[in-house]
Amino acid sequence: MAAVHLENIYKRYKGTAQAAVEDVSLSVKDGEFMVLLGPSGCGKSTTLRMIAGLESISEGTLAIGDRKVNDVPAKDRDISMVFQSYALYPHMSVADNLAFGLKRRHVAPAEITSRVNAAAAVLGLTELLARKPAALSGGQRQRVALGRAIVREPKAFLFDEPLSNLDASLRVRTRNELVRLHKQLDATIIYVTHDQVEAMTMGQRICVMNKGRVAQIGKPLDVYRQPADAFVARFLGNPPMNVLKARLHAEHGQPTVRLAGASMSLARWNRQVGAGLPREGEVLIGMRPEEISVETAVEGANSLRGVVSGVEPLGAETLVLVELDDGAGEVTARVHRDITASLGDRIGLRVPESAIYLFDAHTEKSIPHDGLQ
Amino acid sequence: MADLPAVHAVPAYRQRASVGETLSRMLRNGGLMAVVVLYTLYSALPFVWVGTMSLRTTAEISANHFAWPETFHWEKFRIAWVDSNFAQYFWNSTLIVVSAVAIVTVLGAAAAHCLARYNFRGNRLVYFILFSSIVFPPQIILISLFQVLVEYDLYNSRLGLMIVYVSLQLPLTVYLLESFFARIPQDLFDAAKMDGYSDFEIFWRIVVPVGMPAIATTVILNFIQLWNEFLFAVVLLSDQNSRTLPLGIRAYMGDYFQDIGMIATGMMIAVIPVVILYAFFSEKLIQGMTAGAVK
Repeated sequence: MAAVHLENIYKRYKGTAQAAVEDVSLSVKDGEFMVLLGPSGCGKSTTLRMIAGLESISEGTLAIGDRKVNDVPAKDRDISMVFQSYALYPHMSVADNLAFGLKRRHVAPAEITSRVNAAAAVLGLTELLARKPAALSGGQRQRVALGRAIVREPKAFLFDEPLSNLDASLRVRTRNELVRLHKQLDATIIYVTHDQVEAMTMGQRICVMNKGRVAQIGKPLDVYRQPADAFVARFLGNPPMNVLKARLHAEHGQPTVRLAGASMSLARWNRQVGAGLPREGEVLIGMRPEEISVETAVEGANSLRGVVSGVEPLGAETLVLVELDDGAGEVTARVHRDITASLGDRIGLRVPESAIYLFDAHTEKSIPHDGLQ
Repeated sequence: MADLPAVHAVPAYRQRASVGETLSRMLRNGGLMAVVVLYTLYSALPFVWVGTMSLRTTAEISANHFAWPETFHWEKFRIAWVDSNFAQYFWNSTLIVVSAVAIVTVLGAAAAHCLARYNFRGNRLVYFILFSSIVFPPQIILISLFQVLVEYDLYNSRLGLMIVYVSLQLPLTVYLLESFFARIPQDLFDAAKMDGYSDFEIFWRIVVPVGMPAIATTVILNFIQLWNEFLFAVVLLSDQNSRTLPLGIRAYMGDYFQDIGMIATGMMIAVIPVVILYAFFSEKLIQGMTAGAVK
C-alpha cells in the first residue's frame, strides 16, 4: 500500500469560469481510510477521478507513494477503483470479470486463477464464479466489483459512492464488510460519499468538501464537534444543526446574543470579544438538535420561546419543530419519544451554553470559544 | 335437529365467474385471437401463394391463379438455377451483399462508437451530416452516382455496386448504433481504461460484445435491404454475368409476356437466405429492438 498526496489541485473545464475543484490539498496516509464527503456537485468525485487518472489535473501535484503521477496514465498508477454502478462487464462471467484486468497485465494464468479464487473466497463469491452479472443481486454485484479491485493488489483503493444503489439493510451490512476488509488488507482507501452516516462510521478521517474546495479535514467526531464553518456544521448531523442569525451585545460586561426575545450568555467567548468576536453586530448561532431540551415553562438565560410548528415521532425519538418568537427562525429539537407536543402549543427550549456554536455572519467561519484557543 | 354448520363466505377469487363474465372474457380473448389470426394470414398468405406458384407452371397458374399444385414441378428450381443462370446471380448477390454488410458493420460500428464516446471537434457536425443524408431519398443521387462510377471505371462492376451499397447503408447504420452505444455506461469504459486496455481494445472487447444485439439488428436490416435492392443494381450493372438476383428475376419479365411461374420460382430462391438469416438472428433482432425498453 502507499500514501496519496494532493497538493494545490485544481480542475478547470473549458468554457466554465468556476473551477470544479479549487486548491485541494490532502494527504492520505498509508493504510488510512479517508472519506471525501460533501453534497452533489461539490467536486469529490472529480477529485477521485483525478487521483484515478480518469480526469486530467489542471494545476497542482498528485503523488502516489513517492511518485508524482500527474501525467501517468490510469493503468500505470497501480490503483483500483470501485464505481457507483459497479461497472461489471455484462457479457463476462464473474470469474472473467475478476480476471479481466490481470489478463491485460500478462499475469500468468495460474496466478490469475489463484488470485481470483482467493478473492472469491474472501468475498463469498466462489459459487457464483460462472454466473453473469445479470444473474446476480445488487449485493453480489457489489462484491464482484470489490473483488475485481482486490485481485489487482493495488497501492490504493478508490471507491465512488459504491453503496448508493443498495437498499438500506444491505448498505449497513456492506458498510461493515468494507470496514472489516480495510482492517484485513491494511489498505489505503479513498472513499467518496454524500452519506454522512457512511463517513462517520467508516472513515478514520473525513474531508468535507463544498463547491470544489476543502471545508475541513479531521477525524469524524472532531469534525462533528468542532465544525470549521456553518456549512460543515449543517452538513454533519441529522437533523442538521440549527443555525440562526442573532444580534451580539454586552450584558453586564459579558458577550450575549438576543434571540427570540431571550438573552443567551456567551461567557465562553469572553476573551474573543474584540478579537475574533465583535462587540456588537450580527453573528450566526448554532445549536445541535440533540442538545436542545424542551420545557413547558422556561425562564432564565439560554431559554428560547416559540410555537410548535411540527412534530415528527420517529419511534425511538421525536423531532419537534419550533417557530421561535420575534421571527428569529425555526429550530428542530430532538427529544425523548415520550415527550408530547402538539401543533400550535407554546413551548420553551433550553440550550446550555456548552451546546452553542458561533459563526461569523459574513464568512460563516467558526468562532472558537476561549477553551479552544 | 342439530344446528347446521355456519357457512363461511367464499373469498372473491374463488367464486365461480358468472356466465356473463365468462362469455365476456371469451369474446375479449377471441377478439384478440381473431386479430392475430387475420394479421398472420395477411402477412403469410402472399408468401404461401408465391410458394405454391413456384411449383406450378405458368400455364397452370393462368388456368387457376390460386389452386394448390396438382403436380409439384421441382424441376423449375433446377431450370432457374442452371439454365437461367440463377447460380451466378445468387453468387453475385451473396458476394456483393455479404461484403457490403460486413464493411458497413465494421465501419459503422467504429464510427458510431467514436461519435458516441469521444468529444472531438466537429463531432456534432459529422453526426448532423450523416443524419441529413438519411432524410433525403437515395434516388436523387442516382444520376450523379452513375457518372462518378463511370469516371472511376467502376460502372458495371460488382465492386462498384458494393461500394454504392456501403455508402447507402452506412449513415443509417451509424445512426442506429450511435444511439445504442451512447447508452453503454461510461463506467465500463473507465473500468477498462484502469485495467489497462487501449481505446481499440475497449471497442473490440467491450463495445462490440455489449452492443451485439444492436449490431445484429443492423446486419439483418442491411442484409434484407440490400439483398432485395433493385434500382441501383439495374442502373449500375449492365453485364448479364454481373447481375444480382432481383435483376435475374426481372429477366423473366418481358415487354409482352411475364413468366409468372418462373418469377415465383426465382423469388423463392431469392427469399431462402433471408429466411435462414432471420431464423438464426431473430432472437438478437428482438433483443436489439427492445434493448433499453425496460430499465
